[in-house]
Amino acid sequence: MAKSSKASQEVDMDMTPMIDCVFLLMIFFVLVIDLSQKDLEDLILPKAQYAVPDEAPPDVRPVINIAQDGRMVYRKNTYYDPVVDGETEQVAKDKLRTLLIEWKEEIVTDKKDEVIGGRKVTVVDDPVLVRADKWTEWHWVGLFMTACSQPEAAFWKLELALSEEDKEQKQRPDAFR
Amino acid sequence: MSHLEDAEEEAKTDMTPMIDAVFLLIIFFLCIDFKTLEAKLPAYLPKDKGSQSTQAEPVEQLSLKIVMDDFGQKEPRRRGGQLINPQTGRENAYMVLGHKIHWMLGPKPYQEIERLVTDLEKIAQDPSRRVPDKDNPGQMKLMSVVIEPDSGTTYGDVAATVDAVSKAGFSEINFGGGRGPRK
Repeated sequence: MAKSSKASQEVDMDMTPMIDCVFLLMIFFVLVIDLSQKDLEDLILPKAQYAVPDEAPPDVRPVINIAQDGRMVYRKNTYYDPVVDGETEQVAKDKLRTLLIEWKEEIVTDKKDEVIGGRKVTVVDDPVLVRADKWTEWHWVGLFMTACSQPEAAFWKLELALSEEDKEQKQRPDAFR
Repeated sequence: MSHLEDAEEEAKTDMTPMIDAVFLLIIFFLCIDFKTLEAKLPAYLPKDKGSQSTQAEPVEQLSLKIVMDDFGQKEPRRRGGQLINPQTGRENAYMVLGHKIHWMLGPKPYQEIERLVTDLEKIAQDPSRRVPDKDNPGQMKLMSVVIEPDSGTTYGDVAATVDAVSKAGFSEINFGGGRGPRK
């Protein structure tokens, strides 16, 4: 009798640690693989004082990420790199035109035909979210805006992204003392 | 003797669930940092730019210049890091220490953004600053603001300015021509 009760005790397996581990993995992947964040490069945005929070953003929207060196990135693809492509306005316009036309044809929904300066232009009323590092020179953002103003693109509404906290001060508090 | 052994066994607590729960919380709080909520500010580009034959109509606008006094010193963002990546020859992520700008609202200079916001709010309240609304004939609206960033100003400078202008109550914010990269 004593022997059989010992055997049945060994068969009882404690499932708690396994369930704990599964939950842990589930939470990890849910938080890390957040699909809505795939458009967002790891930049440090300037801190907002009064701006409205970007709550419930749409799944697909035009977002341009502009790095400190002027690289313009959308979904991990670099569309314009001043170091490689050169810094002239015409090159930037040509390089970005493909991306802007792709957005216009595939992503945006709110667009209408208007006659501007005697020419028929399809104007896009959906905004483009511009995300740049706080130390990115404005020149690069201005260059992107120039590309947006091309009649083939005709994006005229922008949203400038800001952050609710200054991550830089959090990362390097020593530098701001 | 056997009673004593039983008592000892009962006193041993199983630490596994507690450790699991602690790991779970650590991972949760580590990952939550990735998802800082972002904010956004609206801005507009001129619709007729790029069209050759457009005659721009004269519109009354408020001009706000951002003037760079000192770009400052670039410092690697990573503590103890290098400014130039020796493998690629490109700059690593940097921050700028001692960056200094001021604003010019018409002819008046401003060193602090708080004073600029106060004066912009006064202008926004002033009925004489209202202009006819082209989209709604017969109605008046607040004039638009044109932000003109100097070369060497950064996205952070302009975003803070747009933030201040929106706070003052202006909704139509445009940007003036670029002045090229910093030499």
